[in-house]
Formats: sequence, C-alpha cells, structure tokens
Amino acid sequence: MTTTFDAFWPPSSSSESPTAESPFAWETIDLSESLVVRYPVWSDDAAERLLDALKEVGTRLADVPVHYVVSGVGRVADRFLDSSDPIRSRAIDLLVPTAGISKEMASEVLTGMARDWTAERLDELLQRELRDRGVLDGFRRLDEGRSVRASGPPLTFHVGAGTVPGVSVTSMIRALLVKSAVLLKPGLGDVVLPVLFAEALAEEAPELAGAMAVTYWLGGSSPLEGLALERAGVVVAYGSDEAITSLRARTPVTARFIAYHHRFSVGLVGRGALTAERASHVARMAARAVSMFDQRGCVSPQAIYVEEGGAVGPGEWAALLASAMADLEVELPGGYVTASEASAVHQTRGSAELREAAGSGVRVFRADEGLWTVILEDELGFTPSCLNRVVSVFPAPDLCDVAGSLGGVGRYLQTVVVEGADDRLPKLAEALRRAGATRITSFEKAPWPPPWWRHDGASVFAGLIRWVDLEEIDS
Amino acid sequence: MSDAFASLVHDLGTAFKESSGEPWPDDVFERWALRVFAYQFETNPVYAAYVGKRGVTPSQLDHWSEIPWVPASAFKAVPFVSGDSSRVQRIFRTSGTTAVGRRGEHHVLDLDLYKHSLVPNMRRHLYSGILPILALAPAPAQAPESSLSFMLGVALEVLSGGEGGFFVTRNGVIDTVGLSAALVEASARETPVLLAGTAFAFVHWLDWLKEQSSGGFNLPPGSLIMETGGFKGRSRVLERPEFYAALSEAHGVPCEAIVNEYGMTELLSQFYDGPVAATSGMALEARRHVPPPWVRTRVLDPNTLSPLSTGEPGLLCHYDLANAGSVMAVLTEDLGIAVNDGFRVLGRAQGAEARGCSLAMDDLLSGVRS
Repeated sequence: MTTTFDAFWPPSSSSESPTAESPFAWETIDLSESLVVRYPVWSDDAAERLLDALKEVGTRLADVPVHYVVSGVGRVADRFLDSSDPIRSRAIDLLVPTAGISKEMASEVLTGMARDWTAERLDELLQRELRDRGVLDGFRRLDEGRSVRASGPPLTFHVGAGTVPGVSVTSMIRALLVKSAVLLKPGLGDVVLPVLFAEALAEEAPELAGAMAVTYWLGGSSPLEGLALERAGVVVAYGSDEAITSLRARTPVTARFIAYHHRFSVGLVGRGALTAERASHVARMAARAVSMFDQRGCVSPQAIYVEEGGAVGPGEWAALLASAMADLEVELPGGYVTASEASAVHQTRGSAELREAAGSGVRVFRADEGLWTVILEDELGFTPSCLNRVVSVFPAPDLCDVAGSLGGVGRYLQTVVVEGADDRLPKLAEALRRAGATRITSFEKAPWPPPWWRHDGASVFAGLIRWVDLEEIDS
Repeated sequence: MSDAFASLVHDLGTAFKESSGEPWPDDVFERWALRVFAYQFETNPVYAAYVGKRGVTPSQLDHWSEIPWVPASAFKAVPFVSGDSSRVQRIFRTSGTTAVGRRGEHHVLDLDLYKHSLVPNMRRHLYSGILPILALAPAPAQAPESSLSFMLGVALEVLSGGEGGFFVTRNGVIDTVGLSAALVEASARETPVLLAGTAFAFVHWLDWLKEQSSGGFNLPPGSLIMETGGFKGRSRVLERPEFYAALSEAHGVPCEAIVNEYGMTELLSQFYDGPVAATSGMALEARRHVPPPWVRTRVLDPNTLSPLSTGEPGLLCHYDLANAGSVMAVLTEDLGIAVNDGFRVLGRAQGAEARGCSLAMDDLLSGVRS
C-alpha cells in the first residue's frame, strides 16, 4: 500500500491556513514503493499571501513570552521521546523511507534530536547564550550603564539540507525562541520531522500555530524561494557549497545570511587511550560516531589518526574498530543507499584492496554484505570518505603532528575528536584551533553536540537576534 | 618483452584484425578471456594478490564473468602492468579535475595492441570511406598523456589518409581560426569530413560561433560528428538533445550523423552508439553503445554487485581483451542497462555528495578521460 506524505504545513484543509487557497496544485515524488511525498506548487499570489501572513504573525510574536515558546516546544519534545505517543512511531515509520535510514537508526536519531528540544535543555541554551532569557521579552539591566533587549526579525527563512533528519527542526526552534515567524524549506531527506513538529506545536502552543510554514520544493524551482529571500530578515541555509553560493547571491544586503556549508570531522586517538583497558571501548565509541547518520553528518568522523607507540598499535586498533563497526551494523543497520553512493564505496574499497595487494602497509577491513569499511593507511595524510560508513585510519607518530597534515582542508574542518591526549590536550587544542577546528570533543559526544553548540564557530543566536542597548540618559 | 606477452599480443592483434565486427560466439570470447586472465594472473603480482584474496585462481574459473574486476579508480592508486614494467611504452593519464585528486594512469606495454583495437572499431562505426578528420582535441605530440589524442592521431594517419588536423592547443584553447579555415575548405571541396572531439570542446566551439554571430559551417553531405567525454567538472553542462540540436544546426548535419564515443583512459577499446545506419530516425534515448567483439560488458547491481538481467539499471563492468597488458576487467562508475547487442549509458554515478553535508571530494571518483 502506498502512503502519501504531505511535505507541507499548515495542511491545506485547515481554514486557518495562511494561504487559504484551495485547491492546491501538487507535485509528487515517489520516494519508495510505499511512500509518495507530495508538495504544493506556489503561485506568485499564494507565495505573497503566505509570506504576508507569516510576517504579520511574526510581528505579534513579540508579545508572546519566551517561556510560552520554551514550554510549548518542550511538550512536543516530550511527546517525540515518549514511546507510547503515536507521534513517535509515526515519525519513525516515515523517517525510514524519507531519510533513507534503518528503523533502528531512525529511533536513535529521533531520540538524540528531541532530547535537545526539551524545556530543560532550551532553558540551559538561553541561559548560556543570553544570561537572562527575559531580554527576549523586554529591556533588562544585565550590566552597568544600560538596559538591553534582544529580538529576532519578524520573519526568518530556513533552507535545510536534508542530510540529517531533525536539523531543520532545531533551526526552526531557534527562530521561534527569538520570536520570529519561520518559513522552512526542508531538504527531501528531512521533510518529516518539521511537519510533525509544526503539527504538534500548533496543538501544544496554539499562539505559535500561525508562525510556522513548512513546505518543500525542488531548490530554485518555486517563486516562493525568491520572494522569501527578499522578505526575510534572516536567511539560514544548510547545504552544499553550490546551494549556499546560490542562496547567498540572491539574499539582499539588508538581510543577515547564516550559512552552514560542507564540513567534515576527524578523530585523534592518543597513546593514553591505547591501553589494553581503554582501546576497545574507544573503538566502540568511534564506530558509533562514524556510523551514526550513516556518516552523512558534518559531525561524522571521516578519518581517524591513531598514535604509534601505545600498548595497542594503529593496526590492532583498526581491527578493534572494524569489529565494533560489524557489531554496530547489527545494532544500527545501514540505511538505503543510492546507486551512486554504493558505487563510490565499491570504488574506494577496491582501490584500497589493490594498494593492500601491492604490498604497502595498507589493510582493508570490510563488511561482507553491508558497506562499512575500515582502511588502515600506511602513512600520515588525509583522505575524505565517500561516506556510508567508510573510514580511514592513519598511523600518527605523534598526535601533535596531525593538525599540520590537515592544513589543506582546514577551512572545511569542523569537529575533532581527541581521546587519550592526556596532558597534551591544551597544546593540541591550540594546534587544532589553528588548523580550523571549531569543536573538540570525545567520540561519545561527537554525534550529539549540545543545543548551545557554536555550530561552525558562531554563537547560536549571534546572527538571529538584534540587540538594542538602552543607555542611561541623564534627565 | 616477455615471449608470453609478445605471442599474446600477436594472437590478439590477428584476431582483432580478422574479426568482421560481429560478436564472437561465447566460447570464442571465453577462450580468449581465460587466456588473458591466466596471463595477467601470472605476470601481474599486484592483481594476482588481489585475485588471490578473493579465492580465485585461473584453473578454477568456470566462466569469464568470474574474472575479478578492479574498480576504475584503482588506476589512480596502483600501476597495473601485466608484464615487464621496464617495457611500458606510454602512460596515459585521466584528466585532472581537482587540485587534490590524483590522476588515473594506464601503463601501456604495447601501443600496437591499442591500434589493433581502435582502428577496426572506428572504421566500422565512423568511416564508410576515407574521411579527413578535423579533431577538436590536442595533437598527440602536444598531449602525449591523452589516450584520446593518441586515438585520433592514429585515425588521422591510418583511416583518414593523413588528411585533417588538430585544432586544440595543449592548454585546451581552440584554434578557431584554423578550424574555421579547415571547415571552409572542406565545404568548398565538397568532401565529407569527420569532426571529432570532446563534448566540452564542442560546447566552447558552439559558444564561440554564437559570439561571432556565425551561423556555423555546414559540413558537406556524408560528414559525421563524433563527440566524447561528457561534461564532468566543467562549468557549462548541456543536455544531450540540446547539445545535438546545436551541433546539428551549426554544422548542417542530421542528428543521426552525430555519434557518441564512450571511452575511458582505463580501457583500450571504445564503444560507439552507431553505426550510423542503425541510428537513422532513432530517438537519442533509444540509442545504445555497441562493444567490439573483443569486449564484453556486464551490468551489476550497484549494491550487491551481482549480475542484473537485461533491462535493469546497474553499474557497467567491462571485460576488454585489448587491456591484456594491464588488467582486463574494470568496474566503472557509469550506470547503464544491457540491451541485446550492447548497453545504454544512463549517466555517471556521482558519489555521495548529493546527500552528505560532510565533505565528499570528487577526487574519489574515477577521472574522466583526457
């Protein structure tokens, strides 16, 4: 039986729909034999009406207290985390064909994402970023000589990548916290969670219902895209370098443009983690970090540098990693891959096996049926992964040398995992900062940055809010 | 050169020359393939170790399709030489598309075997008579690493009676003045020509004609256009129907006189989506590439790499006997479907970039042919 999922919210049947245009023309995409994704075709008029309505609601959001947003979003998060709530099973069932991940992975990803949308975590985010969340509701005196107030623009436009499901919901939540109405165009792989989130939030916090619109279109194909770029106060874009370049070029100079382009992450394992006691635990955590999101996240390590001279050597550790990758293939099976993705894995693997056959120190560990592959390299370097659980392990004479070998690709570097550096960590962190890293963490935390993570080096609300300083005026 | 290689090349060359172009019976191809595989297993230790890890030896094979393939991108990783590597006559390289990407290398032990493959195949598909060749590619002396330039150089010498020329510099700049003059001359002499080159060179040529507000140069009746190579890594991409319509208009040739050559540096044999007679009135999407008798192509499931039945799309894997001096079985990143006498190319598998927000550089893809 084929299910149709509308990559659109508010639903066309709602009389509250800001578009109020019926009947819609629809386009469809067959994502699998069992799922068709349907999305509306926007006329110039309908696009105009949608944006007017959103902006109008956005202007009124200033009067909605921030705790109302936090508690509403928090209740939705609790529902996504509650295995007895039908919204969770519906989300998981729909994530499988849309995001192309296994059911087990869908469950893991949903839990990991929704955990950061709870009221507790959002409060912590606001506290860390703003010191007093009240600045979003009115002027507050936080330091000497002035009062301050923070607010987002009436309308923000978000373009998601679709790589990791849930990321565009996080983007929506940030905008709602600063009282901005949201137009979200999710990536095709991430259409489900924003729609379900908006649906649930409209129930839990009705005053926010009119402040959200989620609608998919093929990038560049809808009049809504150009119009939204013109109207939004802030544009938040996730995607390939090409997609970002195109959106940036069309964003007016008066709007702020926040971009998350291609990034990659790596891991460093020092001698301190290569003891008989710790090595296999670290390998298990590394396997999880590599396999999470089937390695499609910017936080997913693509290469791991293993220090020589530990009790467990790089070769032995690569074998431990391979064994953990095999276990994880059972616990969190790999998802759907396109012909191109599978082809890239076969090419990478086969080439590595030929280098192995040529008598270099290269060794290849691979799944018999799945795609996971561990390639033990024979000298320090960097090779980007073809993704889908393919990771290179490089032997490193000294962890402190690794940052240097990343120099050429540093502008794309994001998360660096460091394990077992012990007292060298401060020095290493400084070297990694110079190399371009913006986050240094453990394998265990790598897939799940906290909500206050300074994604790619910028404060969470830096681009979203406008501060107003009210200085002391002598009268 | 080892005696084994010399006699293999001699025998293969003879078989290629004596072939009518019609497919060889299964048992004939099978005999040749097993002989080439046994030779490669014997003389190429890297390939033998790779094959050995798969538990395969020549004596155990039941069918040529069990010969282990190597991925095309492995030509970037290791030199494949089946024989004495000090006797390599030429190294052809794939075009580099990124600063970081290594280029694929095809070490050729015997250029004559390449000629023995390319000449009859080109004759069958492109040369109904002696056509002068006007090449939108650099001359072989200018681009010694380009297998395409080598091929067109041989064509000029052997099939075009020495008539024609090359109209792209080693830096990829089109000699528009020279080509215009050659086209005017061909038109005046009313002798048909073969205009052959890379697709992206043709696109630049078409752009130049447009800039000049030139209506183009009508080719004399009977002329052919051969384009090859695709658009990977190029700034401007044209869909095939649009591209062929533009070529057809600029040169006054019917669409069926435009032939695609599908070839790659990693293979010494090529495939044409002709012969011309068979394309007459045929829609572009209905065309198929036909291998010469000494090549067999399998279509493999992209995930499991098991063979697919006719009509199902998968990855093209070629078994090319002309690759006797390197490695004969090559898995490409090209998607296609098998049809009764060949295959239809559907496009190129493009790696994981479409879905990864993490970086997937295109140096992981095998290079296009330069």
